[in-house]
Amino acid sequence: MSETEALESMVGGEYKYGFTTDVEYEDFPTGINEDIIREISRRKNEPEWVTEFRLEAFEKWKQMEEPDWPNVEYETPDFDKVQYYSATKKKNKNKPESLDDVDPEIIETYKKLGIPLEEQKQLQGIAVDAVFDSESIFTTFKEKLAEAGVIFCSISEAIQDHPELVKEYLGSVVPKGDNFYAALNSAVFSDGSFVYVPKDTVCPMELSTYFRINNMQSGQFERTLIICEDNSQVSYLEGCTAPMFQENQLHAAVVELVALENAEIKYSTIQNWYSGDEEGQGGIFNFVTKRGHCRGDNSKISWTQVETGSAITWKYPSVIMQGDGSIGEFFSVAVTNNRQQADTGTKMIHVGKNTKSTIISKGISAGKSNNSYRGQVKISPRADGAQNYSVCDSMLIGQTCGAHTFPYIESANPTAKVEHEASTSRVGEDQIFYLQQRGMDEDDAISLIVNGFCKEVLKELPMEFAVEADKLLGIKLEGSVG
Amino acid sequence: MAKLKQSNQSFLQDLLSFQGSLNGKSQFLDEVRLKGAEEVKNIPFPHRKDEDWRFISLRDLYTDDYELATRLDVSVPDISEHYLPESEGSRMVFVNGVYSEEHSQAEALPDEVEIGNIADLASEDHPLLKEHLGKYGNFEDDVFSSFNTAFLDDGAFIHVPKGVKVDAPIHLLFVQTEADVNYFATSRCLVLADESSEVTIVEDYIGLGDNKYFNLPVFEVNLEEEAYVKHTKIQRESKEAIHLARTGAFVAKHANYESYTITRGAKLSRNEPRISQRDEEVEFTVDGLVLIDGDQVSDTHSVMDHRFSHAESHQLHKCVINGKAHSVFNGKIFVRKDAQKIDSFQENRNLLLSRKGLVNTKPQLEIFADDVVCTHGATIGQLEEEEMFYLKSRGLNDQQARELLIYAFALETIENISVESVQKLLVDEVHKFTERQLDSQLTA
Repeated sequence: MSETEALESMVGGEYKYGFTTDVEYEDFPTGINEDIIREISRRKNEPEWVTEFRLEAFEKWKQMEEPDWPNVEYETPDFDKVQYYSATKKKNKNKPESLDDVDPEIIETYKKLGIPLEEQKQLQGIAVDAVFDSESIFTTFKEKLAEAGVIFCSISEAIQDHPELVKEYLGSVVPKGDNFYAALNSAVFSDGSFVYVPKDTVCPMELSTYFRINNMQSGQFERTLIICEDNSQVSYLEGCTAPMFQENQLHAAVVELVALENAEIKYSTIQNWYSGDEEGQGGIFNFVTKRGHCRGDNSKISWTQVETGSAITWKYPSVIMQGDGSIGEFFSVAVTNNRQQADTGTKMIHVGKNTKSTIISKGISAGKSNNSYRGQVKISPRADGAQNYSVCDSMLIGQTCGAHTFPYIESANPTAKVEHEASTSRVGEDQIFYLQQRGMDEDDAISLIVNGFCKEVLKELPMEFAVEADKLLGIKLEGSVG
Repeated sequence: MAKLKQSNQSFLQDLLSFQGSLNGKSQFLDEVRLKGAEEVKNIPFPHRKDEDWRFISLRDLYTDDYELATRLDVSVPDISEHYLPESEGSRMVFVNGVYSEEHSQAEALPDEVEIGNIADLASEDHPLLKEHLGKYGNFEDDVFSSFNTAFLDDGAFIHVPKGVKVDAPIHLLFVQTEADVNYFATSRCLVLADESSEVTIVEDYIGLGDNKYFNLPVFEVNLEEEAYVKHTKIQRESKEAIHLARTGAFVAKHANYESYTITRGAKLSRNEPRISQRDEEVEFTVDGLVLIDGDQVSDTHSVMDHRFSHAESHQLHKCVINGKAHSVFNGKIFVRKDAQKIDSFQENRNLLLSRKGLVNTKPQLEIFADDVVCTHGATIGQLEEEEMFYLKSRGLNDQQARELLIYAFALETIENISVESVQKLLVDEVHKFTERQLDSQLTA
């Protein structure tokens, strides 16, 4: 088999998570207007201030235009055809006390996805919040976390049980009218995770959320809020999959992280939404606003992402380093294949003194895809001694894809130091030749080279997921080097 | 607000009323200008919302009235101090945009080289000029280059025929004098380097006073196979001037285009070099040095367009920023589909010396071919404490150490310039700049 063929056959790796689950949904109208927003709020039994929050966001959203600056092309979703709330019918209206109350079909779905919800079957030390379309199905290890004082639940539950915390922090990092899709999310947000780590606490286990879009018409608008009080630490991981549909589905999430003094938040994502077929038919529009705020001195926020799915990705996990000595990190691997388009990167805003940020971004494009890195590093006038180091490397596989780098760097402080470097290259024939000569077959050789290229990022992932990411990369790029 | 927007849209169009005074000398140029004027009317004036113009304001440009420079009647002071010794006998001088025959010389050039004023050659219907003028600018939808075309009159035309190697550097000196009114100039150069020819051009802008004017020069150069053109641009416009320049270069097979741009003057300046490959196997260099202080703003938007396989390109752009100065850099590297085996290097290094200075930099790679090596880097920083310490421990005082380091930083971009007197001149400029920098630091 020629090199090219070997690569192509590799790229064709199938999407394993493309099945649908047959469940009954509650009726909910499509489209967006004030009544629908009130209806979402009513079904979720939300207090008045949340309804107000949604309506204000909706007002702002109506005034806004969809941004056109990302380097992606797609047809704007018809916002009137999206179903903004999608919940399954339940046997009883109360929150599930145990797994027995959860629809067995859904439990089966998660099992198939490799996420058993039964605690005894779980990987040790990881608590999971499972979100199915618009609602959180079940959260494991709640009691154990509660012993340590950590609150881990869905945001809907948090609104009911801890309204004072949610009220204080919701929208404080990503304001209601921050951008087009953040405003839309603020108006219709469904479920997502809420994490609160009190002072002087190291969260005893990894927290994770598994998002699944199942309903063909529905969009997913999850909202995640993580608060880490003084001297605390938490590590959080999200994973996402969706069935294969011909139609595009919209996923517009907002994630807000708040780190107070000496706190440390590590947020990892493995994004594997359905990316559409080879011709670019179907797939998820992934328009996400993720932002962390280092509010306290010496706090640290670290984003790690492995982006392999979605038809269109449009995502810039950012850190605002306000506290003196705070640290922001961004580690990313973005892989695009077939007709996927990704415009992703980060923003590092240095406000406090002696703040430090690191950006390591690896983009791999194959097939007919386009992969862009877009980042901003901004040093404000009072950020004395701020430091940034960025590397963004791209790798092209095949002759029909594109790699783009758009780093914006701004410094208004003479004591700051900013370094940025980027390179574009490919899997070299000589590298493959060398490995083949040592007895590896071509696919293994490519896989090894790609993994080496991404190593700096993959090593940032929590151990269990690093293994998964490794495999994912292999599948994604099977047979794509030429 | 709406009113203001409208007024800057009409700003250039209003100035077109001066155009009539140029007509009647050459039918060819009349037509060219007419086309330029049409474009000016149809292309929107840049706005800060445009991605390419988001970091600088043109307010200083469009809030004033201007007179056409060539209509001014000014006496020209002695400008011989600005002559380059290597270019005795190979020099063209333009004063406020008007070609000055008395200051210009061509006797050191080989006979085959055609050199002359665009307006004069146009009235003779010079065939090469007519064939090539406006072909290498490559600035569609750019209102400023269209404005330049709308006022195209005097300018430099240089044709180096096949196989001719010109030893003496050709000095194109554009002098802007003091005047009672604000004025505008639009100089134009067209350089045609035929097969296997070699030429060195020094494009030199000098403002003699501290007055306000704006200059929108366009420089076009075409390199045929195996041609070698070394192009140095020095910009020392007056402290109040606005200088928005475009350079378009086309590079054919085995040709090599080297360009060095030094920005020292003008209150607001912008350079837009665009280098396009016309065939495989070419080399080009687009280096730059920016030394700015006070309230100067300098912007460089470059495009290195790799359209065919096997190109080697190099860009080293350095900026030293002091006072309230603001430096902007956007370097685009394009590698088109199927343009394989490209080796492209880009680096932007900024030395930010003051609290109020500002740097925006955006290196940019857009790659559509897989077998390429493209790298870019950008740094913003200040003088290294360790380096300072090292020099001080060797007996230099604080001032000397700083001066030496700034000087060394800037020098890297200068040392490749082939004309010795230009190198010396630039070394002096760097020296003057560091001295001024130190003065302002002591008084601050």
